[in-house]
Amino acid sequence: MKTPRVIFITGTSRGLGLGLAEHFLAQGDIVAGCSRAPATLTHERYSHCSLDVSDEPAVVAAVRAAVRQHGHIDALINNAGIATMNHALLSTAAAAQQIFATNFHGTFLFCREVAKTMVRRKSGRIVNFATVATPLRLEGESLYAASKAAVESFTQVLARELGPAGVTVNAVGPTPVPTDLVKNVPRAKMDALLARQAIQRFGTISDVINVVEFFLAPQSEFITGQVIYLGGVSG
Amino acid sequence: MTTPTKGKTETVRRLILATLPEATGDNPPIFGAGAPLDSLGLVNFLADLEYRLTEELGREIVLASDRAMSQGRSPFRDVASLTDYIVELLAE
Ligand SMILES: NC(=O)c1ccc[n+]([C@@H]2O[C@H](COP(=O)([O-])OP(=O)(O)OC[C@H]3O[C@@H](n4cnc5c(N)ncnc54)[C@H](OP(=O)(O)O)[C@@H]3O)[C@@H](O)[C@H]2O)c1
Repeated sequence: MKTPRVIFITGTSRGLGLGLAEHFLAQGDIVAGCSRAPATLTHERYSHCSLDVSDEPAVVAAVRAAVRQHGHIDALINNAGIATMNHALLSTAAAAQQIFATNFHGTFLFCREVAKTMVRRKSGRIVNFATVATPLRLEGESLYAASKAAVESFTQVLARELGPAGVTVNAVGPTPVPTDLVKNVPRAKMDALLARQAIQRFGTISDVINVVEFFLAPQSEFITGQVIYLGGVSG
Repeated sequence: MTTPTKGKTETVRRLILATLPEATGDNPPIFGAGAPLDSLGLVNFLADLEYRLTEELGREIVLASDRAMSQGRSPFRDVASLTDYIVELLAE
């Protein structure tokens, strides 16, 4: 039997994060998760922290608690994220602040705290969440696309900073997957978006899991600083 | 200086010296020109030190600093500056 991996996933209360958590638990792994809302998942190998990913002291405490409990963290999956749809000229400063706080600051804080423990062990995998909205320059998603562009840049630089320490940092960029995140996007808008993909269908949770497992595989130790988009969208 | 602060300063200094790989002299350099650690070494050292501080003092402190990589006033330049910096963080 393989040794269970210890995997920290942010945003596990629903959507892709919940799907990822269920997948790794089914593989026999240990999962630590978080979301602002309480856990929606109960499992003997799952533990949950209710926190906002942009709350620095809460993130520090959650990561250190997970390390105390499990001894180490093998992989971090920075999935928690929010989206807004609006014309840039109609967007509020508060929305810009909130989206960067969750998507970028949250990713940065978790990367910083978990990477410290990975650097000490000279091994670890980090997977961040990008989106096809960035390379497609999607109108109506300027704030979302920009916050994820920041995540991509951060991923690429962090990969270089952590390469010598045996830690890889990559990102997956999903196409639309039917979750709460995209449920308010009008149908016509969604069809136009799908039409820009090489393979024109919605993504599924398994499409995302496949890329994440690829980055986590032991054989992927030489792959870092990469952003893999689904659906044939290229950067 | 009051006794509890002095005690804390000594504990912090002891933990720093125990974590630093090659410490010689009264105020060993840590990071910067002529100091033993490169940037990855500094990251490793600070990660270890945070861990020890939590273990010993039961406080979760973060040793990030906007001046970390600056040559002059970096709190990470030597043991004395790092001790002062951590004691200040603990007092916050
Ligand atoms: N679905 C898509 O079409 C799609 C496409 C491209 C990229 N993505 C990316 O994939 C990731 C997951 O998206 P999803 O579709 O699964 O979204 P979702 O269904 O809306 O779920 C988002 C998860 O993140 C958590 N979360 C949000 N803000 C948080 C915060 N400030 N602190 C802690 N947790 C927070 C939510 O829990 P709480 O609300 O309880 O906090 C929830 O568990 C995101 O990064 C998103 O940008 C999704």
